[in-house]
Amino acid sequence: MKWLWVAITVISGTIGDVLCARGMAMHGELDDFRPTGIARILRYMVTHKIVLAGIAGDAISFFSFLALLSVTELNFAVPATALSYVFKTALARWYLREHVGWGRWAGALLVAFGIVLVSL
Amino acid sequence: MRQTVVSSTLVRRQSAKLNVKNRIFIALVVISNTMGTVLLGRGMTQMPDFASGAFAYIGRFLTNPWIVSGIALLVVWMAAQLSMLTWADLSYVLPVTASYYILTAIVSRFFLAERISLTRWIGIAVISLGVMLVSHTPPRTHELPEGLLE
Repeated sequence: MKWLWVAITVISGTIGDVLCARGMAMHGELDDFRPTGIARILRYMVTHKIVLAGIAGDAISFFSFLALLSVTELNFAVPATALSYVFKTALARWYLREHVGWGRWAGALLVAFGIVLVSL
Repeated sequence: MRQTVVSSTLVRRQSAKLNVKNRIFIALVVISNTMGTVLLGRGMTQMPDFASGAFAYIGRFLTNPWIVSGIALLVVWMAAQLSMLTWADLSYVLPVTASYYILTAIVSRFFLAERISLTRWIGIAVISLGVMLVSHTPPRTHELPEGLLE
């Protein structure tokens, strides 16, 4: 059962983050930080279909992580889901077409490995 | 080849102004996530058992000041992270903002006086190394979706 929650947490979190990135990139660089500009970007976040789908994916991931915590300990849940950093980087490369060089691959792997160590 | 040309043009376009904005948002994402999680965690310790009744539970949840301010900060975190994605890659934002694992450890060590094991310190050092590597790459490397290039 716990591996099912791990799978749901990782898969929905990965899809959620990738969709958020795709939807927000469509907006173009945020540059207006006056109150009206901030209101506009917030409205964009809660009305853009791709961003909303991304937020929904992240929400599913959050709640399945809570469900995972109810059947296991933090020192299992955190390292088991740390691998999602690697999946997200892979999808950023193949689906979002980001230029992921050795620095970013090494960084993602180090962060995932470090999270495992921190939670042991 | 084409990708290299595109990324070098984009790198040049990334001005000093973007750099300042980028740093401010990294700090905002990291601090709001850490503080939000700490406040929410503190509030959750004051919650009754869920089995004691769903309505009472939800009432307590929505009126607990720690939980409410924790959630408010997590909303700030979500909005700040989404904002960063308008100018930075996902493969940049995620590892760089992972420095909240470092800040959380520092907060729990110095403000909550928790003991941190040697393994955790090594983990913190490994995460820091990963964050440093990624933060030296340019924030945006990919083209904007079709038809949206300025």
